[in-house]
Formats: sequence, structure tokens, C-alpha cells
Amino acid sequence: MKHRISTANKRALLALPVITGMVLALSGCVTATVQQVRETNTSMSAEDAIVVLGRRNRPSQAESELDFIDCVARNASSGEDGVQVITEQEFMDAMFPWFEPRTAPLNTTELPTLLQQPELAERLRQIGLKYLVWLEGSTRQTGQSGSMSCSLTPGGGGCFGFLTWEKDSSYEASIWDAHSAKTAGRVSSDAAGTSYMPALVVPIPIIARVQSQACTSLAGQLKQFVQSGT
Amino acid sequence: MYMSSTLKTTLKLTTFSCVVGLLMACAGTKTLQVDASRFPVPLMSQSPVSLGVHLDDTINSFVHTETIEKKGTWEVVLGPVQQTLFANLSSGVFEAYEFVDDTRAPHLDGVLRPIIKEVQFSLPSQTRSNYYEVWIRYDFELYDREGGLLGQWSLPAYGKANKNNFGSKSVGLQEAALAACRDAMAFFSINFAKEPVVYQWMSAGKPLAPPAPATESTPPEQTASAEASQAT
Repeated sequence: MKHRISTANKRALLALPVITGMVLALSGCVTATVQQVRETNTSMSAEDAIVVLGRRNRPSQAESELDFIDCVARNASSGEDGVQVITEQEFMDAMFPWFEPRTAPLNTTELPTLLQQPELAERLRQIGLKYLVWLEGSTRQTGQSGSMSCSLTPGGGGCFGFLTWEKDSSYEASIWDAHSAKTAGRVSSDAAGTSYMPALVVPIPIIARVQSQACTSLAGQLKQFVQSGT
Repeated sequence: MYMSSTLKTTLKLTTFSCVVGLLMACAGTKTLQVDASRFPVPLMSQSPVSLGVHLDDTINSFVHTETIEKKGTWEVVLGPVQQTLFANLSSGVFEAYEFVDDTRAPHLDGVLRPIIKEVQFSLPSQTRSNYYEVWIRYDFELYDREGGLLGQWSLPAYGKANKNNFGSKSVGLQEAALAACRDAMAFFSINFAKEPVVYQWMSAGKPLAPPAPATESTPPEQTASAEASQAT
């Protein structure tokens, strides 16, 4: 009995990585495109930091999700080429009330007036802010087809059918130079992918990680943009 | 047999309690609190004024209650956070401030009395949008140090929260209410010195309010003629 349990455990332990591998392998295809437009030269020293902010001045379909903003900030700060990133909430609290939805500058022409205030200029110097990154865009489901039905009976249950859906991510980051009060450039990331869910008793989701791909691409390009100069 | 009927009764009672409990939970009042720890101190040049801030019981205990068809009753509790909101706001905007129990404060330049005049909110299902939205309308009354009313102005504030960022209605509305409070703070701090009432009062050296015209008392000539007609 003891031997049999141990064998079952061994089998389960062996099966676990296989199942995990299968689940990881079962992710849908995503195509991503990243573009950038540079308007001025950029550079960052070890003391410089950036902040990634979402545009929230009015209710809009293009308002970026909080988890996407977090994802870009996290990815931009990670890795060997990571840059210092101030979190959005920290920045808004430190600069309150100048970057609230109704009071935040809408374009760089409003920056010089803001930065003329000695308190603000001093605070920006303290936190070491070099670039402001404004994010706009979102991920939307663009289509869905197929059907699936599930049933539960005293003898057991299961699902049967096939579902498929498409998602489209489109984001743009405007990069403002906080020192020169000018637009440094723009980086955009578009990603699209189709997810599938076939079900023959058990549904097997094959998810296309569209938003995650858009985030990784955008953050990678953003890091290069602010560090790579001309 | 006896055991069986007892068991049946117990089961029925338990089922009934569960159903009633679930119905109450669905139809019950949802109370939303605003997180006062998220009110920052404004970063700006302080106005050269020492003001008393008078928060009366009405504002300190303000709760907005609204019933939405098929969605239940919602309570937005705003009163308890007003003290923190105005403490942080005042310490950033005014050179000196203190909370006062009355609209008269002879040792200060004047007294500010905030009033929550109106609160409204909407759910994404009502507006067919992605947003929880909250509107708060504050009225501000400015008094001179002797308690004379100098003037008043309104401040509409707005806050929204995207439903895609928040899992439940309560959290979404709570975030929208917090955003509305921060919006009120932001707008007040940026515009305080520009408000015509404040601007004129401060430019004139923070004088006492002119005495109110005696509209109630009858002019002396009319009184004299009335007495004359009574005598005849």
C-alpha cells in the first residue's frame, strides 16, 4: 500500500511539469508591431527617473487599464537595461494637485508655466524626474464566434463545443522631457491575437496574451528610446 | 419518525434562513467609505491668509443615500473624511489655519465654512459606459473674523473609475468618490486665491464685511405717517 501511494505520487510529480508545459505551450499566436517617432535627443543618468501616467481627463474608450500602466512601469524598470520608474500614484501624490485628471497639462506647451513654480521645480528635482510618459489606448475584444454548452448530471458532467475570440491592443506613449518641457517623441504598440477554447468534455483554453505582448513590446521600446540618445 | 421530522424541519429552516440571508445580502444597503489616507497636501505657494475652518455637524456626518432600481441602496459616507480632507488642503493652501467651532474667530483673518450641497453618482449600467461616476457640489462661505458673511461660491467636483479596473461595484464607486474628493481639493487649491470673493477681500486687506442693509425695519417717515393716521 505504501509502495503504491509513493508510485502514484511519483507519477503525479512527473505529470506536473508535463501539464504545466502543455498549458504554457497552448497559448494563442499574437502579432505585435512597435513604432516610434523621435523629436529630440534623449539620455538618462543613474539618478534620472521616468513616470508612466494614464490620461484620465475625460471618460474615454481610450483610457488605459491600470494593470497595463503598472505592467509597462514594471517592465521598464526590470532587466539589465531597466530605468528608474516612479509609480503613478506616488508621482500624483507628490505633485498634487497639478497632475489630477482635471488639472494635468494636456500638452507640452502647458509645462513651462507649471515648471516656473518654484515648489514644483524643486519637487521634480528631488524625485529626479527626467521623462513623463503619457499612456493612451486600451485592449478590446473585436470579435467572437462559436458556441459551447456544458451539462452536469448525477453521473458526471462535461462541455462540448468550440469558442474563438479576437483581441486587439493599441497603445501610444507620448514622452515629455521634464527638463526642456518639450515632447521627446512617441512610441506606439499594437498587438492582435486570437484565442481558442475547444471543449471535448474538458474545455482547453488556448489564450492569446495580447495585452501582455503589447506591454512587453512597449516597455522594451520605451527603455531603448529614453536611453539611446539620437 | 420523530428524528426524521425534526431533521426535515431543521433542513427547511436552514434553507429558509439561507434564502432570506441571500436576499438580504442582495437587497441590503451597501456602505461605501472613502480612504482618507489618500488625500495629499497640495504643493503650491500658500496664500497669505490665516483662516479658521468651520466644519459643522451636518458636514461631519454627511452620508449620501440613494436607491437604484434593481441595484439596491447605496450609502456614500463622506462626513468622517472631511476633517482630514480640509486639514491637508488647508495646510497646503493657507499660510495658517485652525479648525474653529463657530464662524467668528477674532484671532484669525477670517473663517471658511464648507458645505456639501449635493452628491450624485451613477453606475456603468445606468450610463451604458465603462465608468462609475460621482459628482459632489461643495458650497464655500467666507466670513470675516467677526462672523460677517463676505460671500460664497460653489465648487462642483467629479470623479470617475473605470469598471475594467475594479472587480466590484462597491470598490469602483469608492474609487470614484475618492477621485471626486481629490478633484474638489485640486480645484479648490488652484482656484482659491482667484475666487472673486477671496480676491477682492484679500486685495482690500481682509477687512470686515460691510454691515448688512436694514431691510426688515420700517423707514422712520413711514412709521411717523402710520402713527399719524392711527391718531386721526
